[in-house]
Amino acid sequence: MTTNQINEREKLIASANTLRWEIGENIHDSIIESIYTDAAKIANKVVRIKEQKKKYSFDQTIDRIVTSKWLGFPIMFLLLAVVFWVTIEGANVPSGLIANLLVDTLHPLLKDFIASVGIPYWINGVLIDGAYLAMAWVISVMLPPMAIFFPLFTLLEDFGYLPRVAFNMDNLYRKVGAHGKQALTMTMGFGCNAAGIIATRIIDSPRERIIAIITNNFSLCNGRWPTQILIATIFIGGAVPAYLAGLVSAAAVVSIALLGIIFSLLVSWGLSKTVLKGEASAFSLELPPYRPPRILRTLYTSIIDRTIFVLWRAVVFAIPAGIVIWLVANVTIGGTNIAEHFIDWTDPFALFVGLNGVILLAYIIAIPANEIVVPTVLMLTVLVAGIAGVGSGSGVMFELDSIGDTSAILHAGGWTVLTGVNLMLFSLLHNPCSTTIYTIYKETKSIKWTVISTILPIIMGFAVCFFVAQLWRLIAS
Amino acid sequence: MIDQNKCEACPVHNAGNLKRLGINMDKFDFVVALAGNPNTGKSTVFNNLTGLKQHTGNWPGKTVTRAEGGFEFNKNRYKLIDLPGTYSLLSTSTDEEIARDFILFGQPDVTVVVVDATRLERNLNLVLQVLEITDRAIVCLNLMDEAGRRNIEIDERALTRDLGIPVVPTEARQDVGIPELLKTVDDVVTGKLICKPYRITGSSKGLTKAVENLAEKIKNEFPGLPNARWVALRLLDGDQKIIDAVRSGEISGIVKRNAIEENFATV
Amino acid sequence: MIDPLFALLIAFALSGILAVLFWPAKGIYATYKKAKRNTSRVLIEDTLKHLYDYEERTVRPTLRSIAGHLSIGVDDTIQLVEKLQSMGLVESSQDGIQITPQGRSYALRIIRIHRLWERYLADETSVKETEWHLEAEEKEHSISVEEAEALAAQMGNPVFDPHGDPIPTKDGEVPKRNGVPLTTLKNGKFGRIIHVEDEPHAIYSQLIAQGLYPGMQVRIINTEKNRIRFEVNGEECVLAPLFAANVHVIPIQKQEEITSEFKSLSSLRKGEKAVVVGISKACRGPQRRRLMDLGVVPGTLVTAELESIGRDPVAFNIKGATIAIRKKNADQIYIKEFSQEELN
Ligand SMILES: Nc1nc2c(ncn2[C@@H]2O[C@H](COP(=O)(O)OP(=O)(O)OP(=O)(O)O)[C@@H](O)[C@H]2O)c(=O)[nH]1
Ligand SMILES: [Mg+2]
Repeated sequence: MTTNQINEREKLIASANTLRWEIGENIHDSIIESIYTDAAKIANKVVRIKEQKKKYSFDQTIDRIVTSKWLGFPIMFLLLAVVFWVTIEGANVPSGLIANLLVDTLHPLLKDFIASVGIPYWINGVLIDGAYLAMAWVISVMLPPMAIFFPLFTLLEDFGYLPRVAFNMDNLYRKVGAHGKQALTMTMGFGCNAAGIIATRIIDSPRERIIAIITNNFSLCNGRWPTQILIATIFIGGAVPAYLAGLVSAAAVVSIALLGIIFSLLVSWGLSKTVLKGEASAFSLELPPYRPPRILRTLYTSIIDRTIFVLWRAVVFAIPAGIVIWLVANVTIGGTNIAEHFIDWTDPFALFVGLNGVILLAYIIAIPANEIVVPTVLMLTVLVAGIAGVGSGSGVMFELDSIGDTSAILHAGGWTVLTGVNLMLFSLLHNPCSTTIYTIYKETKSIKWTVISTILPIIMGFAVCFFVAQLWRLIAS
Repeated sequence: MIDQNKCEACPVHNAGNLKRLGINMDKFDFVVALAGNPNTGKSTVFNNLTGLKQHTGNWPGKTVTRAEGGFEFNKNRYKLIDLPGTYSLLSTSTDEEIARDFILFGQPDVTVVVVDATRLERNLNLVLQVLEITDRAIVCLNLMDEAGRRNIEIDERALTRDLGIPVVPTEARQDVGIPELLKTVDDVVTGKLICKPYRITGSSKGLTKAVENLAEKIKNEFPGLPNARWVALRLLDGDQKIIDAVRSGEISGIVKRNAIEENFATV
Repeated sequence: MIDPLFALLIAFALSGILAVLFWPAKGIYATYKKAKRNTSRVLIEDTLKHLYDYEERTVRPTLRSIAGHLSIGVDDTIQLVEKLQSMGLVESSQDGIQITPQGRSYALRIIRIHRLWERYLADETSVKETEWHLEAEEKEHSISVEEAEALAAQMGNPVFDPHGDPIPTKDGEVPKRNGVPLTTLKNGKFGRIIHVEDEPHAIYSQLIAQGLYPGMQVRIINTEKNRIRFEVNGEECVLAPLFAANVHVIPIQKQEEITSEFKSLSSLRKGEKAVVVGISKACRGPQRRRLMDLGVVPGTLVTAELESIGRDPVAFNIKGATIAIRKKNADQIYIKEFSQEELN
């Protein structure tokens, strides 16, 4: 490129600039207007509509119902509740079966086999008691609910219901200064927060996009339901008669999910009043026509594709975490292992806010993947409470045959209903998993926002747990 | 990915002329971009041709990143790009920028604009904008089944004539019209079909004069540039990417198509 | 274990203290930061802007005007001007204080950042109109040139700020303001006074007595052979053409408000149809572009289809698609009754 050429180009750009002063600001308007004029001309020539259309009014009828003043929200909650209920009820049995196979049957076999080959005990421990068991647990706990939830969710998505949710909820989002499409990204977050955060690209306004990114973590992702479902079943379902247990636990999980939505609204409001000051910007959302979903194809793609994909990720993270768990439980300093050191050290604070040291340690180990929180908690509880005769020994992650056993362990570890409730709250309000944090960084390209979206939920989690614990104790005493 | 081969044998696919290559995009001969308004079935067409499982969903904005896949048809290997849906190429949200940048700088050999047959007018907005940038484009008139159900009829021949580019009616979800689409892609990339795209006519007087004035200068600087008018418009709108492209001379790559293509392949 | 009541009280006290400390805009931290704002950099930059402004308006700056502008004492101002002189940014002679070319380009850089930031606030943040200027006054001192350029690029290199003033280019160019005599402005048009001719003095003092200064905005009400009636800053004013010719204005594009004549889209009830006439100029930037891309252009037929709770948002059928629009935006879209001929 010669200097002459460069000069010519700079001149060209400069002359464009001068012209811009002259023609003023309306250029975009006139371009679009003239394009649309041409488009209308062509369309008028080639499109013919033969008298009116029945199908169309069918669409409108559904729309009238699902967006109506009185029925809109109830239908939404009902659908949400049904989806969770079906997931909880349906996942129970297959979960047990898989656990039976992978943990109760296969695990001892593998262990014996390795032992018989003569490999040192610690390799056996790290690989089989750590990595393998973590993976087995993740599969048995996650596969069934995901294989139910994803297809259900995809059916709703394919039908065209999600944009209607956004339409119904926009009123709330506008009032807190957020974008209406945040409702869409939030529902995506119910599947996976990282996916929800990438989906925020549909939000034009940078301010509102950051709000949507920060608050996406308040959508319970699928890595956190197993925790919610299990704890709800033990501590809340356990407190009511058996025939109500399923319903009541589903209701508890739905309430946590709704609480998440409320928190996301509150935080959005707080942000748009302070660091991300501003009113809600324009919102325009196309409501697509309803399309009958193709059930078989949906089942196939959502199970094979989404479920396997998410599961794969969980397994990949569970294996190293399993190894870490085994190590903290078996490497000792001054006679006690690392886990116990940590638990003793954090217990005073943790108990004060209604949690315990075990939970805190579990959440640190589970930063890569939320899925493994509960197995870690169980394993550590056994370790600390020194319960004999359960599991397969110290530092082994296991699945217990019945919820009753799990419940017995937790109660023996000093858990109360308060601990259960607070664990559910803390599972809603804590830092996003490492993949999500990385995604936030990639999408915002800002360390500041990444740190804020990581720290903010933890602070909120501790604050909420603290208040719940104190109020609980006040009322109980 | 299990049923990848299932449909290969069925007659709709021109007796095996189409080979879905999944994510295999080695040594491709041509690049095909899928553009279009949101929710018109781009990802469905993409999955159909590559055998991949790009997520589809019935709401605008499902795809927000660019996806790539490969297929082989009539001995030619293609790289297919699924782009996020856009209403226009003039706005600036992240997903739309991805689409625009690819059509502009990715230098696809042909851009297939997937169009919702039930809402032709609003979709033509984008088609006309694409035609300002490139003259190798095909309109894929998708969702014909829905148009039929709503008693909407479209005169495809008139549309082809008016737009100056081929128009192929399809029902991507039901695999209808895909073989014809492939045939047309083949015809365009091999030069059997030459497009003479429609160009936008009027706009305000002051603007037209400014555009002509500037386009003249651009043509002097970059002789042979096919879309000088469009570049002028973008400069007048202050589009930084285009300003940079003019400054670096990259904009003339649109003329020296082949040279750029090699560069792009190595990127 | 700590008594829960006690713990709660402590927690409330703590959050109270934190709130007092960090409450946005009013908290101690925010106040402290605001107070620290008057650093020497800010003072220097504000002085240069003031000098540039006066130069543009052909008014002579004085030490007092600078002191008034910065709200600091005259002694401090003298020191400040000396400092500026030693930096080569201003010169002072018997004629008064003058800005040097270096100082001018510095001032233009600040003005560029100021106007860019206003544009940014207007287009992309939905900060209230009344706050644009104030926020930009702060921001202009803290943004680096690189950041400003990145911002400009991202916004499509705007050339006007939201008030219609030109944004100087990176190299400090601003379009020549070719003023025209007030007499040439047509009825109903807007202009901004850029120059009040000070010769002959008799006419000048008359104009000053009328309170006409550069920077004021005028709107012509009507022109007759021997007098011109116009509105300036909300007050009506009458001048003879001889006098008016000594006031130079630049025509500005003030939106011809179409509000009064047309209804807005938000007034459309479920099931009603109307034709779009235009979008208010108050809807700018990406929001405006987005609406137009969706087909909200003059002549489009729209039908209200669905209403969300509280009639906000409402979904309209626009060119075949159902599109939900918030009331705030629907307010800015003007419509007229639809008639059959209109359709073709
Ligand atoms: N009835 C019918 N539905 C179709 C057809 N093609 C696609 N669809 C459906 O239309 C919806 C949108 O399809 P996608 O392929 O996700 O659309 P897209 O253009 O990729 O959308 P974005 O990624 O949001 O831009 C899905 O629910 C598809 O199943 C068709 O020919 N007929
Ligand atoms: Mg897509």
